[in-house]
Amino acid sequence: MTVTTKAGQPKKRRGQGKDIWRRLCKNRLAVFGMIILAGLVLLAIFADVIAPYPYDLQNYSEAFEFPSWRHPFGTDNYGRDILSRVIYGARISLQIGFISLSGGALMGCILGAVAGFFGGWLDTVIMRFTDILMSIPKTILAIAIATTLGPGLVNAMIAVSISSIPTFARVVRASTLTVKEQEFVEAARAIGASNARIIFRHIFPNVLAPIIVQSTLGVGTSIVLAASLSFLGLGIQPPTPEWGAMLSAARGFIRDQWYMVFFPGLAIMLTVFALNVFGDGLRDALDPKLKN
Amino acid sequence: MSSLLQVIDLKKYFRTPRGMLHAVDGVNFTLDAGKTLGVVGESGCGKSTLGRVIIRLLDATDGTVIFDGKDITNTKDVKSLRRDMQIIFQDPFASLNPRMSVYEIIEEPLIIHKMYSNKEAMHQRVQELMDTVGLASRLATAYPHELDGGRRQRIGIARALALEPRFIVCDEPVSALDVSIQAQILNLMQDLQEQQKFTYLFITHDLSVVKHISNEIMVMYLGMVVEKSGADELFERTLHPYTKALLAAIPEPTIHKTRQRILLRGELTSPINPKPGCRFAPRCNYAKDICFQQTPPLEEVEPEHFVACHRVREIND
Amino acid sequence: MSDKLLSVRDLTIHYITDDGVVKAVNGVSFDIDKGETLGLVGETGAGKTTTALGLMSLVPDPPGKVVGGEILFNGKNMLKASKHELRAFRGKEMSMIFQDPMTALNPILTVGEQIAEVIQLHDKLSKAEAYKKAAEMLRLVGIPDERMTEYPHQFSGGMKQRVVIAIALACNPQFLIADEPTTALDVTIQAQVLDLMAELRKKFGTAMLMITHDLGVVTEICDKVAIMYAGQIVESGDLESIYERTCHPYTKGLFGSLPSLSKKIHRLSPIPGLMPDPSNLPTGCPFHPRCPNAMEICKSRAPVNTEIEPGHFVRCLLYESKTGEGEK
Repeated sequence: MTVTTKAGQPKKRRGQGKDIWRRLCKNRLAVFGMIILAGLVLLAIFADVIAPYPYDLQNYSEAFEFPSWRHPFGTDNYGRDILSRVIYGARISLQIGFISLSGGALMGCILGAVAGFFGGWLDTVIMRFTDILMSIPKTILAIAIATTLGPGLVNAMIAVSISSIPTFARVVRASTLTVKEQEFVEAARAIGASNARIIFRHIFPNVLAPIIVQSTLGVGTSIVLAASLSFLGLGIQPPTPEWGAMLSAARGFIRDQWYMVFFPGLAIMLTVFALNVFGDGLRDALDPKLKN
Repeated sequence: MSSLLQVIDLKKYFRTPRGMLHAVDGVNFTLDAGKTLGVVGESGCGKSTLGRVIIRLLDATDGTVIFDGKDITNTKDVKSLRRDMQIIFQDPFASLNPRMSVYEIIEEPLIIHKMYSNKEAMHQRVQELMDTVGLASRLATAYPHELDGGRRQRIGIARALALEPRFIVCDEPVSALDVSIQAQILNLMQDLQEQQKFTYLFITHDLSVVKHISNEIMVMYLGMVVEKSGADELFERTLHPYTKALLAAIPEPTIHKTRQRILLRGELTSPINPKPGCRFAPRCNYAKDICFQQTPPLEEVEPEHFVACHRVREIND
Repeated sequence: MSDKLLSVRDLTIHYITDDGVVKAVNGVSFDIDKGETLGLVGETGAGKTTTALGLMSLVPDPPGKVVGGEILFNGKNMLKASKHELRAFRGKEMSMIFQDPMTALNPILTVGEQIAEVIQLHDKLSKAEAYKKAAEMLRLVGIPDERMTEYPHQFSGGMKQRVVIAIALACNPQFLIADEPTTALDVTIQAQVLDLMAELRKKFGTAMLMITHDLGVVTEICDKVAIMYAGQIVESGDLESIYERTCHPYTKGLFGSLPSLSKKIHRLSPIPGLMPDPSNLPTGCPFHPRCPNAMEICKSRAPVNTEIEPGHFVRCLLYESKTGEGEK
């Protein structure tokens, strides 16, 4: 409340963002996740400076080296430094994760909002379309699309994008249905707002919370999906140091050179874990606000 | 003086799984400019639906609404209607977008209707509106959830006033507020009407509030008008059994009671697939056979005093 | 042995939040005799519901804490009772009815099951006997007992509230707390429910704390009234004293804000301003920023409870000087 009393000064008014940030920071696990993500982002941006070696520098004399001071994560079968490759891999994986997710999220949000807002036959058509997409397991769907389009980074991103559409469409449609019934939407119609204005100015900002949460969780899934594609030889092609591709290449050497599998795998696990706990924390931080 | 609003045999039905809901079933009235018509009733009487149909937030099933001489019942250009007809909602928490600041909420109608060409003029107008409803200018950047019910309702009022309407539907604007805040808001609305000559359709379930602010009062029950008369007249000479029971049910804040106790039997039902006959009959202490067979018409029983009751004269003399 | 059923002394309940300490209830004292009904009147934020929760030891902890005071029920200090004792106590000796009948009932249990549940928890009856008693309770609140097997959603608002009353009175508690039981109901239904409550009260001899913001409802069912503001009781007494010889400026302000059906008034006289933020209460008398009779001293000195006529207490510096003595 912003009541002024003669005794005290007006109570400090806080924007909603600061409230959410404060709640988020109280969740230690979420903060842990945030720190890891921040670290990964820094690695990705400054890979050129941080990585001790270029990711494609081959050196057969140093191949299959166990982790040491010179090569903290060891070297692979081509003598390339695994640490450097993992660091550059952060850049690739985060790129794929965020870009593909954004594409899928955007498409999904628009479809979901339109379906939820207008209802009727439009809703039916859109929802049956997403049902079809959803009935195919994500990985298989991604594989099918990637196979059709051919290998490569862009095609991998398209495949992952399309796989994330249905979840967003559903989440946004459900939220839209709820928000649509709220009185402030009726109030917007009463002052003459057009449908477009209502969707973008009134409904979207109020369904943002589930979209954000779904996004953070979705990035993790996208990264795993992309890694799976590379693992199978679709998507990213060598020598690009994508974590999944690194896993795939290291398959044959698991027994003796376990470090070739361990470190890229650890990187994937850590990233997805960080994204998940951050997403959970974000959902909790946004939740009390939703109740208002 | 010609009237600003004329409502002729207005009907609004909703299709429900259990049948056709006759929310508003043949309402007639005229309202002159600058006056207030109070619409009173309990849950299910159709008063909120009536307000929304008149300002075209809902489309009428049948009947006519004439505003300022023009038939607006089926007009396609609803947007320009919004300049003249506005609504203040009941719930000061749900009727404001939680993601918009006070300034943005009040500014929105001005943007939609392109009322001002430059930002400066717009800013001034929003300031003016905030002053008019008694909102301190420092609250412009506040968000609804930071403010109390009374202030939020003032925002809703400012938003309704932004387009300079002539007619405002007030849908239970003070029901959700504390008693002392209610009084503040009611005074504000009265002052605004005196200064700017608004015409109000004041919907409420609280007879004491409506007496104070209305020129004429219409009592509704299950979609139909049961009594309509001048405000003071309704209280001095209450004719319909339902209105009598409604008045008697209000707990008086005094230990020296002036009113007779009347307890109604039964519950408030929904007007789904209604049969002919008076809809109040099942609960009425005076009901006779005819009440269950024929729907009583709304008749002028005394000058400017309309009642829909077969036995109105017998009961009151 | 005295007739006093409940004695509350200096009850103080605070909520410890990130935004500071919310002083919801600040030194509330009152007594209720057997069979008596006290009306607790106040607006939003006055602390009425917190007081009620405090009586039932249901204040959510964290963030709420009973910081001081005592609650004596039949001589026993409730604040020192164990969890086990409290559970046996609630529903049997002391019951509560909440405001919203829509959410107070479990939607997946039939109405009969919910009444029988509370009977089985406290009285050692078999299932069949409990159901028989439940049917009796339903009849008592005016619902035909064939409806025992129906679910809450099949009842209207007024009927749901009757079911809630039946559950609350099923074990014949000595004391009932009713938190705005009729606020959410339509006016004619409210009249029916109030009538029912008055009847049952007489029949069972239940003492009651009736929380409401409606000064009219108080006259229908209460014997005494206490007016709450910013966590304190500012005026209390029997009906006649409060309604005929109102003293505290806030109480007068409340009466003045009411639109009247009988008198002809052109303009209402509301109390200017808002109830203070309980985490940032004014110094001295909490009402002084809004009080039309505020004196300079009101800003710094908190008034004590003064008895200005037998049974009629006011917490206001205007009256303190008149009698010259007071008690805390």
